[in-house]
Amino acid sequence: MPDTPTSSPPAPALVALAAWVLPGAGYALLGQYARAITIGTTILLLFVLGLLIGGIRALEVPGYNAHGGKLISWVKGQNRNGGAPYGLRASDAPLPPGAREEGWVVVTHPLDELRSKPWSIAQIMIGPIDVLCDWWSVVVSQPSDPNNPNSSRIAARSHSRINELGVLFTAVAGMLNLLAIIDSSHRAGQLEAK
Amino acid sequence: MYFHLPASLAFTPFLDPLPAWPDTVWPWLLLPLCLAVSIVYKSIRCKSMRQVPREAGGLTITIILAMAAAAVVLAVVVRGLER
Repeated sequence: MPDTPTSSPPAPALVALAAWVLPGAGYALLGQYARAITIGTTILLLFVLGLLIGGIRALEVPGYNAHGGKLISWVKGQNRNGGAPYGLRASDAPLPPGAREEGWVVVTHPLDELRSKPWSIAQIMIGPIDVLCDWWSVVVSQPSDPNNPNSSRIAARSHSRINELGVLFTAVAGMLNLLAIIDSSHRAGQLEAK
Repeated sequence: MYFHLPASLAFTPFLDPLPAWPDTVWPWLLLPLCLAVSIVYKSIRCKSMRQVPREAGGLTITIILAMAAAAVVLAVVVRGLER
């Protein structure tokens, strides 16, 4: 397979976007197919291995709780600084008495939500595949019997070391793809400058 | 092994966590992680992809030896503090 750049290199931003959408695709746009296949396959295998080890529920999805419930923020009164302290509840849970609903926590308190699930930032670097897996994680976190909210969940949740390894593998895969995004777009920039 | 047999039989890929809880099993899972990090790093660093297998293999061994050395040092420190 050729490992040489094409005659008219694409824009660095386009290369970065392609590399995010599909790991390794940035190098493929530059005509570096061997590098693209090696890096893309390795990153995807690492991500899939992480999900295999920790289970799909090892992915913590911003805006949803561990049981797949959509997190809604609510406020009640005001604190000393004038701002309102907020609480969270699942969308199917009752609103506390006297509380006012704010909305989905990803919209109302996005930074707080990301801060509580920091590994999701590294995992999203894998691209739309992570978004699809996040959706799958939320779906299989639901009760196996829709009429009984206390029934067992469709998928089991991992704990301790196995959960840590699942999160570690998926987050490292995301960070490696970030490295590949930066490198491929940098290479595109260098080719453009020549 | 007897205690892990039922969990192993119930394992559904991706829906159940991998039944690798024993301390003799899970540390082996770090090997593919080291290998993947080495392959991606060396694929980015090396000018020619022909160099990657050799360079990545060397880096994988270096990472594993460094982690083993760190584990030995930490074990000695912990034992020393325990006395």
